[in-house]
Amino acid sequence: MRPLTEPETKVVFDKLANYCTDLKTLIAPLDDGDRYVFRLNHSRVYYVRLSLANLATSISRDALLSLGTCLGKLTKTGKFRLHITALPILAEHARYKMWIKENGAQPFLYGSNVVKAHVGRWSEDCPEHSGVIVLSMNDIPLGFGVTARSTAEARRLDPTGVVCFRQSDCGEYLRDEDNLFAS
Amino acid sequence: MGTTKTIKNKHSTKHAANGSGVKGSKQAKYGDKGDGVIKAKKNHLSKAPIPGQGVKGRPKISDILKKRKKRVYSEKELGIPELNMITPVGVTKPKGKKKGKVFVDDRESMTTILALVQAEKEGQIESKMIKARQLEEIREARRAEADSKEEERKAQFEETKDSIRKKRKRPRGGKDSDTNGFKAFMAEEQAKASRPDKTKKKKVSFAPE
Repeated sequence: MRPLTEPETKVVFDKLANYCTDLKTLIAPLDDGDRYVFRLNHSRVYYVRLSLANLATSISRDALLSLGTCLGKLTKTGKFRLHITALPILAEHARYKMWIKENGAQPFLYGSNVVKAHVGRWSEDCPEHSGVIVLSMNDIPLGFGVTARSTAEARRLDPTGVVCFRQSDCGEYLRDEDNLFAS
Repeated sequence: MGTTKTIKNKHSTKHAANGSGVKGSKQAKYGDKGDGVIKAKKNHLSKAPIPGQGVKGRPKISDILKKRKKRVYSEKELGIPELNMITPVGVTKPKGKKKGKVFVDDRESMTTILALVQAEKEGQIESKMIKARQLEEIREARRAEADSKEEERKAQFEETKDSIRKKRKRPRGGKDSDTNGFKAFMAEEQAKASRPDKTKKKKVSFAPE
């Protein structure tokens, strides 16, 4: 387990900035004097309290399976992939949100894209190809994706037209159970 | 001949006799025969003035040659294409740099990176929004233009339709209505045919007795 290098940090922040507005709150000091840091173990990036990260140094790299919140994975080409486990953090600081109706929740959780007919509400002035958090009508985060159309364009779209490309959904907890924490 | 000497250091005796302890030294080669006097050979050469040496202040030619030979060119000066070198382009590491990764763990440096990334992302999103708005405006303008054109066309169509209707309402015998002319002709014929029937009086005649 080690802290991230400068390019790694940049890549991670770059990806997070697609979905979140205010990232400074992520690394802001807490009331008890502690703060959150990013740690890398087995090419997975963890968002963890510094005190916990310091405690975890007593466990060897191989023996350490996970700690804190797993944000995603750094690929061998140097890119960063967000995992579904990062959803609570993303949903808290979301830039754009999309609420889907009950009839659209199941298809989304099974891995399909969001069609216009399933959208209940949508953030105004959302450009296309920007990160969006998908929530149910009860404000429960279901996953995240990338908008296929801007809000204005989506208004003219037919009901079966795709408005959001799925990136990750809560169904992955079951579907990708084996690969989420160990490759 | 008959006596043998024990020599402790044969090298020292063999070559020390020549004056120097080195095997291939000049003294060993030319030999001074143990008298300690070195005869200078080629005295004429040493006495003759060397052309470059005569003038003071000028560097010797040999010195210049030595200097030239010593010059080492760097890779940039040689102008060798980068791909043609022995070491691949990516492998060469800058000298004097510390080995290993530089971690970012303190809050200040993280905040700096974060601010940079966020500013960049905001800029991107802003430009995307502006672009989208401009495109939307263009689309709106095009749609308005298309609508106006459509209306214009419809109005023209209605006008032509009206004009045709008016033309039909004109009295018969128009130059362009052949069918009308034909119908009129037929009607006249019919009228002619029916007229004698009406004028004829019924007559009953009997054969004369």
